[in-house]
Amino acid sequence: MSAPPPRVTHGPGEPYVGTSVPRVEDQRLLDGRGRFLADLAAGALSVVFLRSTEAHAVIESIDTTRATDMPGVVGVYTGNDLPLARDYIGSLHTPDPGFVAATGFRMPEQRLAILPVDRVHYVGQPVVALVASDRYLGEDALEAVDITYRPLPAVLDPSASLAPDAAPIHPHLPDNEAGRIEVEFGDDVAADAVAVTVEGTYRIGRHGAVPLEGRGVLARVDGQRVSVWTSTQIPHLVRQGICEATGWSVDAVRVVVPDVGGGFGTKANVYAEEVVVPVLARLTGHDLVWVEDRQEHLVGSAQGRDQVHRTRLSVDREGRVLRWEDDFLLDIGAGGLWVAGVVANTAIHLLGPYRIPRVRLRGRAAFTNKTITAQYRGAGRPEACFALERSLDDAAGRLGITPVEIRRRNLLTAADLPYAQPLPYRDGVPIVYDGGDYLRCLDSVLELLPAETVERLAAEHPDLTIGHGVGCYIEATGRGSFESGRVRLTSTGGFEVASGAASAGQAHETVFAQVAADGLGCSLELVTVRRSDTDLVRHGVGTFASRSAVLAGSAIRRAAEQLLDQATGRAAQLLGVSPDLVKSTASGFAAADGSSEWEISWADLATACAPGGAQEQLGPLDVVEYFHPETVTWTMGAHAAVVGVHRGTGAVSVLSYAVAHEGGVEINPQVVEGQVIGGVAQGIGGALLEQFRYSPTGQPTSTTLAEYLLPGTCDVPDVQVRHLGVATPCNPLGVRGAGESGTIAVSATVAGAVEDALHGLVRVSETPIRTGPLRAAAEQIRREGQ
Amino acid sequence: MKPAPFAYLRARSVAEALEMLGASAHRDADAHTKVLAGGQSLLTLMNLRLARPDQLVDIGGLMELSRTFEDTDSVVLGALVRHRTLETDPKLGKRLPLVAAAAGQIGHVAIRNRGTLGGSLSHADPAAELPLAMLVHEAVIHVESATSGRRTIRAEDFVESIFTTTMQADELLTWVTVPSARPGQGWGFVEFAPRIGDYAQAGAACLVTVAPDGSVAAIRAGLLAAADRPLVVSEPGDEVSGIPTHETWERLAAHWTRNLEPLTDDPDHTRHLCRAALSQALADAYRRARTDQEEAA
Ligand SMILES: Cc1cc2nc3c(=O)[nH]c(=O)nc-3n(C[C@H](O)[C@H](O)[C@H](O)COP(=O)(O)OP(=O)(O)OC[C@H]3O[C@@H](n4cnc5c(N)ncnc54)[C@H](O)[C@@H]3O)c2cc1C
Repeated sequence: MSAPPPRVTHGPGEPYVGTSVPRVEDQRLLDGRGRFLADLAAGALSVVFLRSTEAHAVIESIDTTRATDMPGVVGVYTGNDLPLARDYIGSLHTPDPGFVAATGFRMPEQRLAILPVDRVHYVGQPVVALVASDRYLGEDALEAVDITYRPLPAVLDPSASLAPDAAPIHPHLPDNEAGRIEVEFGDDVAADAVAVTVEGTYRIGRHGAVPLEGRGVLARVDGQRVSVWTSTQIPHLVRQGICEATGWSVDAVRVVVPDVGGGFGTKANVYAEEVVVPVLARLTGHDLVWVEDRQEHLVGSAQGRDQVHRTRLSVDREGRVLRWEDDFLLDIGAGGLWVAGVVANTAIHLLGPYRIPRVRLRGRAAFTNKTITAQYRGAGRPEACFALERSLDDAAGRLGITPVEIRRRNLLTAADLPYAQPLPYRDGVPIVYDGGDYLRCLDSVLELLPAETVERLAAEHPDLTIGHGVGCYIEATGRGSFESGRVRLTSTGGFEVASGAASAGQAHETVFAQVAADGLGCSLELVTVRRSDTDLVRHGVGTFASRSAVLAGSAIRRAAEQLLDQATGRAAQLLGVSPDLVKSTASGFAAADGSSEWEISWADLATACAPGGAQEQLGPLDVVEYFHPETVTWTMGAHAAVVGVHRGTGAVSVLSYAVAHEGGVEINPQVVEGQVIGGVAQGIGGALLEQFRYSPTGQPTSTTLAEYLLPGTCDVPDVQVRHLGVATPCNPLGVRGAGESGTIAVSATVAGAVEDALHGLVRVSETPIRTGPLRAAAEQIRREGQ
Repeated sequence: MKPAPFAYLRARSVAEALEMLGASAHRDADAHTKVLAGGQSLLTLMNLRLARPDQLVDIGGLMELSRTFEDTDSVVLGALVRHRTLETDPKLGKRLPLVAAAAGQIGHVAIRNRGTLGGSLSHADPAAELPLAMLVHEAVIHVESATSGRRTIRAEDFVESIFTTTMQADELLTWVTVPSARPGQGWGFVEFAPRIGDYAQAGAACLVTVAPDGSVAAIRAGLLAAADRPLVVSEPGDEVSGIPTHETWERLAAHWTRNLEPLTDDPDHTRHLCRAALSQALADAYRRARTDQEEAA
């Protein structure tokens, strides 16, 4: 059942899957030859957006006359000027009816206006679009747009927003509930079985992806069609969003993804700008570009997390979990097209990698007057993990056992797995954890980073008080419904691969080529992976939710195999031999019948099926496959951290970090390791530094990178990663998703280590962790000479 | 994030810069002219449209103001001396080790390569390192204008409040005279920032003069980010008798930070951070002074 051991180099005749072949995209991306959205802007006029300065207000008037007369201005447009079929972008995810029935899931329709004309819902919401000859003149002219707002009270607290007497933020809805879910199973627990019950309130701050490259959209009209280049993870859903809003036919819109400098979920969303820019390109006839700047990004791009969990965990004398209850709230801001995904993810992942017989969960999402949200890396999983893992640490402390011990007693082992939960997944299929041995991950991470590391690091850092923490997580990966993969023989005998799963810099060009080369039995150099383009694959979903390797990888694998199959038949026909005599080689096909030998290259086959060739009638060798997984496949892992708390300031440094991770087959082990390490870095940001803050009137105060603090290289230690692969039968590659794994357990793990460092004098129950209380505790320890 | 429109002038000499500044002040009292030095504060504010000068006078090409002169008891630094030069120039580092340490804490290398001493002082950010270092060193700042000529301002009198100095709109900061480190003097500079390269949440600089017998002869210490300007906090009356210990510094630091009213969200926390930075800076300074004495002996 174990996945084959990873190989660093690729030997002749060996599969490429499992090998750390160097990333082919890196040369281009690292030496400055990447082509990002802004690199395509030459010749286009600039679109600039006037964004709401009010958190919640009625728009009394918009006067664009002065702005229209400013130098360089081509036009100024409000929502009334856009010829839209529908003035909002629809939800991007609806759970399966089976899941809805089992969980009472409900959500209202969201109708946040593409460019609002009567009411604004958050600071940063685009209100007016202006086309100018360049960005400088455009920004000058924006200052001449006169808008009168009548402020309304800003709702910033999700509990207040859901209070029975709260005024609805969105006039078409009766209240501010954006979603709800209830999960309950297991028998009541006898009171005398319970040794300890811990209750807690855990807050996960409002964090965001903040990728290196912001968003951006370029639109060009070409006869009846509009081509849209956008920095997105989900080109086909963007196309759908544009078509639904404009009424244009799917055939009239092409969406192309250039090089993308990071997405992490914030670009797995459809945005107003992605509709407005092509609409204005049609209206004006000009090529138009909008490149988001960092200030816009920090108020206008989708954010995440921002949850509050009220928990109750009961364990028996041995520390075995008897009952787990959580009542959680999500603040989705003015809207979130993935609210169903995040609410359901949170609930499902609250079940953790443990045996928990009795569960009661209730979750509600609230609209507030903050920036919109989407699925930020982990999307409910890190929040669920924080609540559950923190509760376990608390219970362990009360029982007088270690955090490691309480997990050891509850983690699912080889004897328990596969493990069914009495609940369907979002796709309606009953949840079954298809893992190997979760306890092994905990043992393994402690080998990498044993608790005794504390003593060594304490000696090295006299100014710090040192602690050790652990955290475990579970992750559903590779969600459907489908993904596309296309493999095509080019006219020169190479292969082009395309998929709906767009790359945001991960390594799609490398790993998809590995998968295709194995399926084709050809050498890797023959394969080129194209960037996503709705003209290359007509259907697709996108890259998010740790799904690309699983779904796109599987689709590409099948397309490659099918192409090989077709090609073998054609080669046999060309050679005039029976197909079973034809063998594929690294460069094409060979056949032998004892007396003679023949060879035919992929280039020969390409010539044969081109016009004038012997197989012209058969058409090109070009296969599109859609892979529909039956359901998700589960990744599990354990994290360990050693942190130091500065005795004078309470500042937390993460000194050492380790992850042991039960994924599946690794297509490219180094790429997986990179994903895990990057995830840990992002997790450390959330645990210690990052927070979108708002003033009491709803003004965002984290509007530059001097206020929204991202972790730098000095804030992230070396991360040791151990992969304990267990191949899954759920897909032809045996892979499990790994894109979000690294980030999920970080806040919980760091929090545990901080408490350990401070001898349990503080309870860490929120992220980012506040240093003030830590400083007080560190001082107390010093005074008492502990 | 594009600046509002502005006119741009590039000065070829100090005299020309002064003329440009004077002319615009004279021509239109409301017109707003700003000196552009390294641009590491000003251009950011302009891109955010928080600063909207009508005109910039770029002094970046004035090589004369990039020079430094070494006197017996002091070093004279041109307004355009870069943070990176203060940090890495070995000769300056020997004469002004506190300044070198302070400069090394500013932002990141790319910022230190461009940012200038004159720019940092004129910008007068209460959390900035160099204004504090100049204050502790009792530096003297030279300014000049086309109409009122030259004058000097003591570092203590230079900052009026947050982002505001006692310079006039048509004055150019030209030189800074910094008394150099003396024998028996040790320095300390400690700051706490959320991440390396960030502006400090709290920071302390000090010069501690130690007599040959190990007793403390004089202390001059100050804090950044503790008020609307860098603050001198040492009180000459607070003598340290005998050989100081760890507790001595803790006690002094607690005493000298007791009345701070920092302008932050959590003043109590900031006060604690100031205290911790100060006590560590004092201990470091004393240790360095002693080490120097031992090496000299
Ligand atoms: C990311 C980042 C991080 C930073 N971190 C820090 C930090 O940790 N600590 C810190 O101290 N600074 C920091 N800075 C600011 C940096 O030190 C600046 O270089 C400095 O504040 C201004 O110097 P400058 O030469 O760039 O001046 P400019 O930006 O060109 O000018 C600043 C102001 O001073 C005026 N001015 C400049 N020179 C003169 C002169 N000779 N006479 C009269 N007026 C003049 C200008 O008109 C303007 O008002 C940071 C900057 C950035 C971008």
